[in-house]
Amino acid sequence: MALLEVRDLSVVFQRKGEEPFRAVDGVSFDVEPGQTVGLVGESGCGKSVTSLAIMGLLPKRGVTITGSVSYDGTDLLKLSDKEMRDRRGRDLGMVFQDPLSSLNPVVPIGLQVTEVLERHRGMARKEAMVEAKTLLDKVGIPDPNRRLKEYPHQLSGGMRQRALIAIALACRPKLLIADEPTTALDVTIQAQILTLMKELVHDLGTALVMITHDLGVVAGLCDEVNVLYGGKVVEKAMRHKLFAEPRHPYTHGLLASIPRLDAPRGEKLTPIKGSVADNIPWSQGCAFAPRCPNALDVCTRETPAEEAQLGRLLRCHNPVVPGTPAAEEVSV
Amino acid sequence: MSETLVSVQDMKVHFPIKRGVFFDKTVGYVYAVDGVDLEIKRGETYGLVGESGCGKSTLGRAMLRLNEPTDGKMVFDGQDFSSLRGEELRKMRRRIQMVFQDPLSSLDPRQSVESILVEGLRAHDLDKGKEETDKRLRELLSAVGLPTSALRKYPHEFSGGQRQRIGIARALALNPDLIVADEPVSALDVSVQAQVVNLLEDLQEQFGLTYLVIAHDLAVVKHISDRVGVMYLGGIVEEATADDLYEEPLHPYTRALLSAIPVPDPEVEDRRERILLAGDLPSPANPPSGCRFHTRCPWRQETKCDTERPALRELKPGHKVACHWAEQIRSGELQPHAVKPELVEEGDGLSPDVPLVGPASVTEALG
Repeated sequence: MALLEVRDLSVVFQRKGEEPFRAVDGVSFDVEPGQTVGLVGESGCGKSVTSLAIMGLLPKRGVTITGSVSYDGTDLLKLSDKEMRDRRGRDLGMVFQDPLSSLNPVVPIGLQVTEVLERHRGMARKEAMVEAKTLLDKVGIPDPNRRLKEYPHQLSGGMRQRALIAIALACRPKLLIADEPTTALDVTIQAQILTLMKELVHDLGTALVMITHDLGVVAGLCDEVNVLYGGKVVEKAMRHKLFAEPRHPYTHGLLASIPRLDAPRGEKLTPIKGSVADNIPWSQGCAFAPRCPNALDVCTRETPAEEAQLGRLLRCHNPVVPGTPAAEEVSV
Repeated sequence: MSETLVSVQDMKVHFPIKRGVFFDKTVGYVYAVDGVDLEIKRGETYGLVGESGCGKSTLGRAMLRLNEPTDGKMVFDGQDFSSLRGEELRKMRRRIQMVFQDPLSSLDPRQSVESILVEGLRAHDLDKGKEETDKRLRELLSAVGLPTSALRKYPHEFSGGQRQRIGIARALALNPDLIVADEPVSALDVSVQAQVVNLLEDLQEQFGLTYLVIAHDLAVVKHISDRVGVMYLGGIVEEATADDLYEEPLHPYTRALLSAIPVPDPEVEDRRERILLAGDLPSPANPPSGCRFHTRCPWRQETKCDTERPALRELKPGHKVACHWAEQIRSGELQPHAVKPELVEEGDGLSPDVPLVGPASVTEALG
């Protein structure tokens, strides 16, 4: 049994007088200890809502969550608020995108790290401070003694993200969820943080769920990749397989639309036509159909089923044949 | 093609740091742009890259005189742009237009697309009768790939990519020679980024435009630019053609920057060697002495680096670099060594020995 098993997770937002909105639609994936699983997709594909649902951080009112999230055998969705509070920070760690808004601006860094240690490991303040120092040291913050007394605004973006990772790792969680941990950072700092996360997964055997829009980050870090579109996983495979042979037209199109540093210049990019606003609901067919270069008639009539084939899950009526170049320039 | 359209000479932008409630005492400067020379030829795309805080946006804005430069001048098409005043400056601005990063906040939410596009035409007396203007608007929209029905709509009715197209149409409306695009695609989703990048390329071909593209994403810049300048802490550290820069980066910072960019290919990612830079970007209010990069440089040497600021010099045709040891690093004579990260002062970045007296602002004084 895997450490985390997400089965058929759906999140529906309901506002008074409006159509319910299905942000996550039947997402399933497993994470083993020491494994890194990526959730990739563009804004609005449901990747962040998935992580919030796993952590139990979505509001209760107006949100319906179905499916199951089993962590080490217990279904997290069935736990009470109190039980969940005991697990968050101890078993499950989370790193958010914007380190400035997820740290408390009026509390020194040291106290924010020791809070977790006192709450979950029952340490005394003094003892916790010593541990906090080791933690900051481990995530590569220079002069931790001084940093412990400082406030978040006195740290740079990269340092704040390191502090946040230190907090997430304070109780040695078995599972770490990182939601766009490097998006707000510069590339050279991003490289530092990604290297740090890779080392931590390797050294501590933490299972990591990596949520990002950056396929480059996924290519270097994740073992298994889930590509999300409109709330559903449209393609799932191990990273080498996925990047070498993308079968879903969305994955294929995404890879063809990114300018690559190592590609010869002068080649035109092949964009995906339209935008997410063109999506049709999954109940009517394939959400990607209006933007898809491979779309058939059936795509707007029947919802494609998830099919397993040779170490890959695919949700498409007319997948890309391996080896075909990107679709011709489309008029937009 | 080889005619120089823009020439920037020793451009400096220093922002004063002020303290005190009643007397705005200047206690220091943020050296956002500190002595930049660059030339852009007609019809080419010049890419300016660097991390946040390196001064690339300030440089772009200073060239348009949206921020007054502290020192230095810009010559645009043979005329000294920096000495123009009043009406002359306003007229000249027609020829230099800007595309901003965030298409939503750079478009007035209460103006329809038509009024956004007509505003510039009116201001420069290009609005010659209703029929002609209508024709011009339709041309503009079709050039950027929007339907004519867009004219009556408001910015919030469009998606991010479409909004950026409106921003580009607004810049195009006045038939400019130079378009300064500040992070034109960084706010967009990847699948839409490619649409806008292709559009910019098509328009350049169609109208013979010259671009200055400012971005932090080296992959995008490499794709779109003919020549690229890499900025670090207010100065250009390397300048070369896009291919040259990627083939053989000469400055240690460029090397590190290139190696840090993730490539969407696991085969490449597994093989790559990363040059990890230690620490953070030092504060531009308190820049390091000598070479600005010496605090993080894995090739730093005992002499020269921390005392003498290297000048941008041509190492091979068309490839300039500002590093004392570029030749030795290139030949492999010097090898990289480990760097201990240094503490970087955040906040206003004043050195700790400057005493701070009194509240920093009126709001602070009133509590």
